[in-house]
Amino acid sequence: MSRPFPYTYISCPCANTPAPDPFRKRKSRESPQKASPEKPRLEPQLDDDEDEQTFDPRAPRSNFSLYPPEQLLYCEDCHQIKCPRCITEEIVCWYCPNCLFETPSSMVRSEGNRCARNCFNCPACTAPLSVTTAENRGGEQSDPWVLSCGYCMWTTLDIGIMFDKPTNIRTQLSKLTTEPATPPSRTRQISKTFGDLKSPLSMYSSIDEQIPPAGEGRPGNEDAAEHPQNTSIPRTYDARFAALKNFYKDQIASTTASGVDPGDFGAPFSSPNTLHRIMSIYTATRITALYGTGSKKARNKPPVMREALSASEGLSIPKADSETALIQRMASDDCGWDGLASLEQRTFQSPDARFVEDLLPLPSLLRTKRSKRCKTCKHILVKPEFKPSSTRYRIRLIALSYVPLTTLRPLILPPNTSAPLPSLSSSAAPNLDALPPQKPVQLLLTLKNHMFDPVRITLATSSVTPGRVASKVTILCPQFDIGANSDVWDEALQSATAPDRSSRTSPYEKVAEAGKVWDRGRNWTTVVLEVVPGSLPGFKAPTTTEDESDDEDNDDNIRAGLDWSGQSKDPGQQVQPDEDVLEIPVLVRMEWDSDSQTESEQGISSGGRGLGGDAGSMKRELAYWMALGVGRIVSA
Amino acid sequence: MSQRHSQSARSPPRTPQHQLRSNNNSFASNSSGSTYRVEEDAVIFELGARWLRAGFEGESEPKCIVGFGPEESRRAGDYRGYLKGTAAAEDIPIRPAKPEDWAKPYELWKMDLRDIDLGLVEDKIERAVRETYNKYLLADAGVARLVLVLPSVIPHPLLSSVLTTLFNRWRFPSITLLTSATMATTAAGLRSALVVDIGWAETVVTGVYEYREVATKRTTRAMKSLIQETGRLITRISTGEPQPDDAILVDFEYCEEVASRFLWCKPSRHLDEAMAGVAGRTVSIPSPSDPGSSYLDIPFSNLTEPVEKVLFAESIAESELDDEEKPISGVVYNTLLNLPPDVRGICMSRIVFIGGGSKIAGVRRRVLNEVAYLVEQYGWSPVRGKVIDRQIQKLRNLRLSRQHPPTPSETQEQTASGSASETGYETADEPETEIDPIEQKLQRGREKDVVRPVQGILREIETLGAWAGASLLTSLKVRGHVEIEREKYLQHGLAGASREWDHNHRDVKDSNLHSQLPDRRSGLRSGGDRSSWTLAGWG
Repeated sequence: MSRPFPYTYISCPCANTPAPDPFRKRKSRESPQKASPEKPRLEPQLDDDEDEQTFDPRAPRSNFSLYPPEQLLYCEDCHQIKCPRCITEEIVCWYCPNCLFETPSSMVRSEGNRCARNCFNCPACTAPLSVTTAENRGGEQSDPWVLSCGYCMWTTLDIGIMFDKPTNIRTQLSKLTTEPATPPSRTRQISKTFGDLKSPLSMYSSIDEQIPPAGEGRPGNEDAAEHPQNTSIPRTYDARFAALKNFYKDQIASTTASGVDPGDFGAPFSSPNTLHRIMSIYTATRITALYGTGSKKARNKPPVMREALSASEGLSIPKADSETALIQRMASDDCGWDGLASLEQRTFQSPDARFVEDLLPLPSLLRTKRSKRCKTCKHILVKPEFKPSSTRYRIRLIALSYVPLTTLRPLILPPNTSAPLPSLSSSAAPNLDALPPQKPVQLLLTLKNHMFDPVRITLATSSVTPGRVASKVTILCPQFDIGANSDVWDEALQSATAPDRSSRTSPYEKVAEAGKVWDRGRNWTTVVLEVVPGSLPGFKAPTTTEDESDDEDNDDNIRAGLDWSGQSKDPGQQVQPDEDVLEIPVLVRMEWDSDSQTESEQGISSGGRGLGGDAGSMKRELAYWMALGVGRIVSA
Repeated sequence: MSQRHSQSARSPPRTPQHQLRSNNNSFASNSSGSTYRVEEDAVIFELGARWLRAGFEGESEPKCIVGFGPEESRRAGDYRGYLKGTAAAEDIPIRPAKPEDWAKPYELWKMDLRDIDLGLVEDKIERAVRETYNKYLLADAGVARLVLVLPSVIPHPLLSSVLTTLFNRWRFPSITLLTSATMATTAAGLRSALVVDIGWAETVVTGVYEYREVATKRTTRAMKSLIQETGRLITRISTGEPQPDDAILVDFEYCEEVASRFLWCKPSRHLDEAMAGVAGRTVSIPSPSDPGSSYLDIPFSNLTEPVEKVLFAESIAESELDDEEKPISGVVYNTLLNLPPDVRGICMSRIVFIGGGSKIAGVRRRVLNEVAYLVEQYGWSPVRGKVIDRQIQKLRNLRLSRQHPPTPSETQEQTASGSASETGYETADEPETEIDPIEQKLQRGREKDVVRPVQGILREIETLGAWAGASLLTSLKVRGHVEIEREKYLQHGLAGASREWDHNHRDVKDSNLHSQLPDRRSGLRSGGDRSSWTLAGWG
């Protein structure tokens, strides 16, 4: 689609074998008559007549099963094409794409999957940031240092951040941002309160001591909320999370430690304080009978997890005018559209970030090298070198060394040819981005074999492409052989004896004939594909301009024209995006005798041998759907 | 500690290698088995109609937020998304679209499954999860257990699709389900709350009491219709006239961008001076036809219209509204009304906002103000109408004639309590009138050791969000009630879930039972029965 025409896509066969859903199966078995009419998915039907179903490259699900051939892998044990959906991946190493430093696996998580050194991306435009000095004092490099973007000229000065030294920026930055204040005095206070935060709470052992009396608790709390300068308030998102986590930890510890049998913090955890008390008053005997007598004493006064009461415990009550201030800032002149962060910019920022000034430079996200295994047989399909800087692979079974490489190109006929189709006599190559409807186009489909065995190919396609824009497709020679990918030397020797094939078969002298291969070489074969692009909806079929002798075409035209004239008023019947792309689904079925050395060795080593004889010769076959993108049809 | 026990007992079965090794390896002998089974940090996914949030337990925010837009459903190798903003992309004209079709490619699912291809949903989830692991989590998929935060109501076929995809595609040992409302409560540090989730397709107001969902109401006034309304507004402004068939002529992503940046909401119906000044301003947004260079000036007050029209049903009489399209403030009020009075008192002072809509500046304050207005107007009574008004008036007159004339504010209070007394509601601030010895005793006992929780006043509490709540909970090694194990699910699917939650219905949070302990609550389930699993509220 976005690829330049013509292109090929291969549909991974895994799309036809949906994962069995035990629930759905069972349901349909239990109530078949009820389940079937309202069954929302098409797959059950697909399963039944899978072979007859023509693959529709335009169906929304096809987008998830179609892959460019070069992205596919091949499992030699399952003898099947493998797409990213039917492999499992294991990470081999983590590295920063910017500095190519490898991060050891133990450090990856603690560094937040991001580069711990000086690699940063611009929060505004995602370009890499560089470390520079804030003031340029005649080429002399001195502090303070800033991060600056060479693309959009954003610098950390915009958010008021400067660094003391040009190294270890990440640590410096996190020090500056986790403690939520710019004035250093406050920073110190904060860190102190964080220290305090833990110790007094952890001393509490039960709820009785823990909670201050009613009179004290609440006003203090409100006080704190009103005066953020009190600094006992964790203000950043992370700090609040940490405070909450500490609070819950203490709660669990205190509720568990105070006498209830260990392992049962479930019950006090769950039940409301008062309710539990009343329960234990009235049903004390019954509970002890049920739960054993050991914890009777504890039962009478179960500590209960309480809710966070103060800001230092993570409770946060928004100020009444916080939203008003936000609105005023949004509407102010110095904010404007560009002062507000876009959705994309906010993706990896703190959830509170709303303005561009809130954005922080992002350390580069690490990347991974991954080895890939077949999901069904667990054999390794791809194994890269461990070093991040190496681009080599130890194992790489890409599909293109097994399935034939398919290329498509328009057949260009010379101007003075005696072609039987006068409509085709336009001399120039057809513009694939603007194919006129109802005008036949001939294309050359070349399949190139990369295996060391000759392959027999059968191509199949429905005569009319699926979808509303029905184009007619004819493969002039649907069954043919491709030679083995033998030594190039062999061909050279052959050509010495026989006259050169390709020079003999100059396209200028040839005419596409049904049932005949257009051209063939050592390991490739070309056949001709004839396509009549269909009319787009809303387009009046020009039946009169069409060649009268071509009866079939005319019928099609009329049918298509009638189809759309009735519905063209409906806006939904207008051409949908990409509906004008002419894509041909082709079923490729390849058969070969795998008797070559490498293949049989593979077969023996894995033990996965078919019904073959002793010489390692066995019949193999592989079938898959392919989508050939021919071009875009123009509306008139 | 018991958490540790449950941890090691819960880890997936492995070949007991250390026994063999301990014979010939000197340092292996003194280490216990648990050191070999370091449990990987659980991965937490929050799945919604628009976004997938993913990250690890114990972290404060998700590693990534992935959308389900058309860019994400393109073919592999189709890089048209990168053309955005270039000349090539601007050639493509924007076709007029119906609001429904306009927003449809951007959502993962709809709760109405009739015209949804579940296979497509599975495809999208599979791709999103795979890319999340490969790009952002940078961990091997399927090794650690998975915690899934889901809305508390989700159709079974959809749930089944999600679980089947995850279990079949990767080797997750188990998947724990948690409800988003309860998680949001946890992340606010609370045990009870009224969670207002202004989500994509609908706004769900959930009363959570002691980690249980006790009441839920929903309305279709949510972000989807808001973005659609924004689209209509911008279409109207840029073309000058409304389009036939309500068609939208601007790009969805552009609209969402405008909505996320500039939509706001008047904090109260009547603006104070500062706000009125703000509303009089104009702001410029990029012109929809040519976002690269030219700008469009619109009055800032225009940008509050969609919010007020969609979320608060401004200028529509309440009688006109269907049950599923009540304004958010009305739904909040009704949910509170449905709660028992004591729960209501607790919940109304713990209102927690989550969801995309809560990010719009002014919405929260507006909801609170309107609910306060409703309470002031009607008290806690569902009864409305002229006759009732007249009766109240009569009652008031009676009282007025008996007592000395109170101040107007008192009158209103009396109205409130007068009508509210039908439901037996007493505001917490009011002193106890009846003297009940038992109550007094309880009261004394209560005051001794418990701080009286804030109740009876309308108050908002900020939360870190459902994802952070789940992360918090999982890092504390609290086990969810709905923990689906791989083998059991693959055998029977959802149908394998036991229905025992009927008897001991409780929420996920409070049921951190350990597998080695018999269920204390039912007293019926023996240890042998722990093979069964439940879907709890999802069942």
